Amino acid sequence: MIIRSLFLRGLLFVALWWILAEGRHDGWLLGGIAVAAATWASLKLLPPARQSIRLAGLLAFLRFFLWNSLRGGMQVAGMALRGREALQPAIIELQVSLPPGSARILLVNALGLMPGSLGVDLDGANLRLHVLDACQPIVAETRALEVLITDLFEVTS
Amino acid sequence: MIEWLSMALLLAGAFFFFAGTVGLLRFPDVYSRLHALAKADNLGLGCALFGLALQAESLAAALKLLLIWPLVMAASASIGFAIAHRAHRLGIAPWRK
Repeated sequence: MIIRSLFLRGLLFVALWWILAEGRHDGWLLGGIAVAAATWASLKLLPPARQSIRLAGLLAFLRFFLWNSLRGGMQVAGMALRGREALQPAIIELQVSLPPGSARILLVNALGLMPGSLGVDLDGANLRLHVLDACQPIVAETRALEVLITDLFEVTS
Repeated sequence: MIEWLSMALLLAGAFFFFAGTVGLLRFPDVYSRLHALAKADNLGLGCALFGLALQAESLAAALKLLLIWPLVMAASASIGFAIAHRAHRLGIAPWRK
């Protein structure tokens, strides 16, 4: 468990260093130290939990997220050019079915980039959203995102 | 071919930054302005970074440019929530038609 996290995170930081150094090889001594320090800090700050991320879930989440943030950006750009006439703002409240912790935080943050929705308050499982256009199917889209986030985190014991 | 694609992406990026700023100026309250800034600027940044990455000299340099995107995305998503949350706590009512 810990060996696997150590290996995966180390590999990730090696890739990150390679990118930051733009593929040059003369900095690997410093890079090695940085990778070791980063891996140590990451294990210290975010110990390998019983929750891990599934690759298939990650791909499905990213596909949905990127597509919808593209839609969201285009939609709000169109509304901005039309002016406040295009807006029909409202506050909606809904119950989150995700467990507390990283899953909920990811949901609230991701919603800010989805079409028409912005997280305003998260009190326990009670989520309050500001929506730009009350006619949009925000609740259905939030539910779809919730399902994807549930599939993203795998609970292993 | 790649030059043209890169140019198109850079222009699209500029357009979305422009639209985000127009939204910031024209939208009526803090909440709707946050929508405009977070969503449109995020898309504009994505387009601009992809356009620049196409012209990068090496794969690592291209990836370095693309790495900026998720970092800014995470920052703007969480800061957007933080500002909206604070505005809500202060009792600022959303604008209604």
